[in-house]
Amino acid sequence: MSTEENIVIRTEKLVKSFGENHVLKGFDLELNKGENLVVLGKSGSGKSVLIKCMVGLLYPDSGLVSVFGKEIPKLTQLELDELRTKIGFLFQSSALYDSMTVRENLEFPLRRHWMHKTKDEVNELVMEALKNVGLERAVDLMPSELSGGMRKRIGLARTLILKPEIMLYDEPTTGLDPITGREISNLIVAIQEKYHTSSIIITHDMECAKIVANRIMILIDGFKYTVGTYDELVKSDDPKIKPFFA
Amino acid sequence: MSKQSRRSEFLSEVGNISAFTGKFFREGFKPRYEWSELFRQCYIIGYESFPLVGITAFIMGLVLTVQSRPTLEEFGAASYLPAMVAVSIVREIGPVITALICAGKIGSSIGAELGSMRVTEQIDAMEVSGTNPFKYLVVTRVIACTMMLPILVVLADGIGLYASYIGVNLKGIVSWNLYTTQVFESLTFSDVMPALVKTYFFGFAIGIIGCYKGYFSNKGTEGVGIAANSAVVVSSLMIFVIDLIAVQIADILGLT
Ligand SMILES: Nc1ncnc2c1ncn2[C@@H]1O[C@H](COP(=O)(O)OP(=O)(O)OP(=O)(O)O)[C@@H](O)[C@H]1O
Ligand SMILES: [Mg+2]
Repeated sequence: MSTEENIVIRTEKLVKSFGENHVLKGFDLELNKGENLVVLGKSGSGKSVLIKCMVGLLYPDSGLVSVFGKEIPKLTQLELDELRTKIGFLFQSSALYDSMTVRENLEFPLRRHWMHKTKDEVNELVMEALKNVGLERAVDLMPSELSGGMRKRIGLARTLILKPEIMLYDEPTTGLDPITGREISNLIVAIQEKYHTSSIIITHDMECAKIVANRIMILIDGFKYTVGTYDELVKSDDPKIKPFFA
Repeated sequence: MSKQSRRSEFLSEVGNISAFTGKFFREGFKPRYEWSELFRQCYIIGYESFPLVGITAFIMGLVLTVQSRPTLEEFGAASYLPAMVAVSIVREIGPVITALICAGKIGSSIGAELGSMRVTEQIDAMEVSGTNPFKYLVVTRVIACTMMLPILVVLADGIGLYASYIGVNLKGIVSWNLYTTQVFESLTFSDVMPALVKTYFFGFAIGIIGCYKGYFSNKGTEGVGIAANSAVVVSSLMIFVIDLIAVQIADILGLT
């Protein structure tokens, strides 16, 4: 199924340590075009580190990370910036810019393309992105005036505004109530269908995994432990897999 | 902590700040320039520090005048009061007090702002959205500090001199005309120029150190506090070091 040109992100034998703390010890991953891949793993197992390596926020000690066939550590700053416009990254903490309104937050990723766009076009893009997450009324609020779930959704709108081909979601539903969490999960599926994005979703939330995942990958002790569909893994008797689905 | 490791930590800090400064010059002159953010920072830094700087300058001018009078009277030189106060304000007190206040106010706010942006991953978010956060956040703030500090110092000097005029007239009468004539006659090029030039360096030091501490602040809310605190401590210290170097250079150039 996964022929070479179908793979948008690939990591091979990815190793990353912080001093004595060996986080990733040789992680292999392939993300196919148009799929939602869920990565499961215990807190502190290095899931955030993994996707930060994919956008060049962290550099691996050894091993390969390539996105659209380009090796991230070998790119120049300019090439990296160019590539990053095709990747949306939803931060675990939402990472909204505190000093800017919601509108300015959404306009920020467009800055690189500003000279090509009129004010009306920018406004239209902002409103469309907000409509996608159902928060048009929040356009003039400051991030401090938003609830946790709203922040997540605004963060999502901000990453969607450039219509990225790849989305990396870092725990999109953590800290939300089950209803809002389900809304976000449905949104992730809707985004996949609407924009044909390929996504990696990091989560502990099994309901979210069940809704969004085409495949699930389990990260244990710095290695890929196993990969499969939700239905395959939920039936597994493996003592290391069972706790995730308990 | 052993003496050895404390010394090597100090040296590595000096090295890191130098590297950070080097990066500022490399990034700062490459396009694209962040004009609107630069103007916004100039406005914030200049406008918001002005009240504090103004009040302090007023009090310093007044206190200095009132306190110097008895000494000068003892030598029968009370008529030199305006000249003496003007020279001390313009040469030393205006620049240094203003810079120290700005180190406290601007340095800590830059340190805390960038520190919290680092901790909450806002800087990372800028980076992945294809905007160079160093340029957008650091270069603009450092340039704004460097440009605004001399302006604040000139305003502080003016306010200090006016306060001194009031101080002179608390006991005795000196007309505004006589006062200004005495002040401007006493001030020479070599009083004004070195004092003005060093304020650019004060501003630069406040900006660079505030940004450095914030930009590389440690994870956690504690890191933000530490960043703000050490930005103030280190930049205040730097101001005195620069002052010391400036006085030596002015001396060598014969501007005394
Ligand atoms: N910048 C960094 N410097 C030093 N250590 C780090 C850094 N980033 C992550 N780590 C360490 O790497 C390990 C994995 O962190 P990571 O954030 O990837 O965990 P995670 O799997 O995302 O956990 P969670 O589910 O709690 O978010 C942790 O032990 C953490 O201390
Ligand atoms: Mg994480």
